[in-house]
Amino acid sequence: MATGPAITVDVDGRTEKPGGRPAVRGGLALGLPVLAWMGFFFAVPYFMLFLQSFWTPTAFGVDHTWTIDNYKEVFGASSLVGDIYIPTLLRSIKVGALVTLFSTLLAFPVAYMLAFKVRRTRNRMLLYTLVVVPLWASYLLRAYAWKVILGQHGLFSSVLDTLGLSGTFLSDLLYSEAAVVIAMTHIFTPFMILSIYAVLERLPHNLIEASKDLGVSSFATFRKIVLPLSLPGVVAGATFTMGLSSGDFVAPMLVGGESDVMIANQIYSQFGATNNWPLGSAIAFVLLAFVAVLVWISTAAEKREQI
Amino acid sequence: MAEKSPAARSTGRPPSAVEFRGVVKRYGDVEAVSGLDLRVEQGQFLTLLGPSGCGKTTTLRLIGGFERPDEGSVEIDGEDMTRTAPFKRPVTTVFQQYALFPHMSVRKNIAYGLKHAKAARSEIDRRVGEIMDLMEIRDMGDRRPAQLSGGQQQRVALARALVMQPKVLLLDEPLGSLDYKLRKSMQFELKRIHGEVGATFIYVTHDQEEAMTMSDRIVILNRGRIEQDAEPREIYDLPKSPFVADFIGDTNLLGGVVSGRDGEFVTVELGILGRVRGTSDSPLSQGDRAQVSIRPTDVRVTPGAPGGAVVTDAVLAGSHVTMKIAGDGEEITAHVPRGGAFAPGDHVRLEADSERARVFEVLD
Repeated sequence: MATGPAITVDVDGRTEKPGGRPAVRGGLALGLPVLAWMGFFFAVPYFMLFLQSFWTPTAFGVDHTWTIDNYKEVFGASSLVGDIYIPTLLRSIKVGALVTLFSTLLAFPVAYMLAFKVRRTRNRMLLYTLVVVPLWASYLLRAYAWKVILGQHGLFSSVLDTLGLSGTFLSDLLYSEAAVVIAMTHIFTPFMILSIYAVLERLPHNLIEASKDLGVSSFATFRKIVLPLSLPGVVAGATFTMGLSSGDFVAPMLVGGESDVMIANQIYSQFGATNNWPLGSAIAFVLLAFVAVLVWISTAAEKREQI
Repeated sequence: MAEKSPAARSTGRPPSAVEFRGVVKRYGDVEAVSGLDLRVEQGQFLTLLGPSGCGKTTTLRLIGGFERPDEGSVEIDGEDMTRTAPFKRPVTTVFQQYALFPHMSVRKNIAYGLKHAKAARSEIDRRVGEIMDLMEIRDMGDRRPAQLSGGQQQRVALARALVMQPKVLLLDEPLGSLDYKLRKSMQFELKRIHGEVGATFIYVTHDQEEAMTMSDRIVILNRGRIEQDAEPREIYDLPKSPFVADFIGDTNLLGGVVSGRDGEFVTVELGILGRVRGTSDSPLSQGDRAQVSIRPTDVRVTPGAPGGAVVTDAVLAGSHVTMKIAGDGEEITAHVPRGGAFAPGDHVRLEADSERARVFEVLD
């Protein structure tokens, strides 16, 4: 050690080599396994999918001739099926937006209660656990549970029968877009709660006291202080929910009707029954572009908040 | 104490800004405030002083309305506000960590309360402008709190509280996180502002020097009770208990036996200091055990013969030398001018500046 270069330790206790940038090289080494993993299982498949979307589908597989016909077809220029993909994409976005809206509305009060109203640690832990427990069950299982509730001869329809309400507008809930929205709202609400709670938990309580101290009522304090400061959590949760629910294919498959297929179901069938991988890839990339724009907007919104 | 404040006004006492009557506040089994009676006159600069956990912050929060008393009543500006919500009280607070709204500019922070009080636009602009001038933060209106230094945030917090023209301004250790020099200058600044706005200031601190510098009146709290309530000079010169003597400034607390009494003056025999005369409020008489408080500045040190007291330590503390002197199984601290200091190992004779000592009963 005595003969090596002098190492100075600054006040934060980080070691610094004279003239060099600290930590960066070490950080790269630490990150390498993850980078390799992500590169191999994430970036490479995406790149292959991207290439595939410009190849030509044949009856039995794929011909490596470059074409943009797949994208043309996505945007409705195909004589065979006509304009079906973009309307489906738009409907998927609408379903995603509804799921995001409802889960935000449901999650906020719970997160608020958890952060501010439940004083005793034991009760807070209990409530927190109740929020998290559903996440321990597989997503598929929870979607199936909704099939049991909303499906034919399910809980919901037998309640309707008992009440003599079957055949009314309420029966339309079964195998409908509404059912898809309900199931996915249930699935994504816990994520929303956790994401909002994470922000509210760190919100200094004295900001709320300061607002009331200045003569502002509880409700106005909520609107002017709590709500704006919790936006980063709402935006993060909403981005997550919007991205995942617009691209979901399980819930529409299990509780949706035939006309409720979403864009991910279309992709699924291109890779499955229809066996048109290039078209599936093209649809996937259009969906990916939408999600990328969404993430970009939310990141920009968050940056604006932080100034 | 039982008088209502209208009666108080007619008897010529200044009207009270805050009045506590038998206030008790418990957290579980712990009594944070135990039967507090306190009357704060309008326009006073009163400091609640005490060690952490003495109940001073709880007292402040009871005035602000963030805590409700379990017993007793809280009156503000002549009105019973025991159960009044914080946002309906004519009181504002400067919080310990400032509690500035991070998502608003400095100007919006300051205008926040006025805006919700539905004040006219021109009125808001005028008052916010005036207070920013008073606090000397005129150029910072468009910045966010995170872009300000600690001292600047402090000024914004003060401006935000004062712009509401409260009857009572509560300050919860507001200078605690500033560095020494800034703290010093802010102390004088606060005094100046108090003089200019004329509101009642109630200040919480554990720093006795800060309390001495700024207050008209100091209330010393210990375990939820008032130990002493007096002007700073009286607190320093005539502490009522060993706790106060020890908490305010440095002191030597020594045990001895009373050898005589003459009115308020009591003579006590102390081993190391010999015979000391001091004042006492306690019913002490000859033969009683007593505790004596002598300030280090009131100890006179002269050269002495071997066999007496010995200097064990001498440290330069800027303007004076702090000396530790041992003898007779006791240790005494003395502050002596730099010229008259001794070195460790020197034999010295000790004398107390008589009449300045305080004598207390030994309670056990």
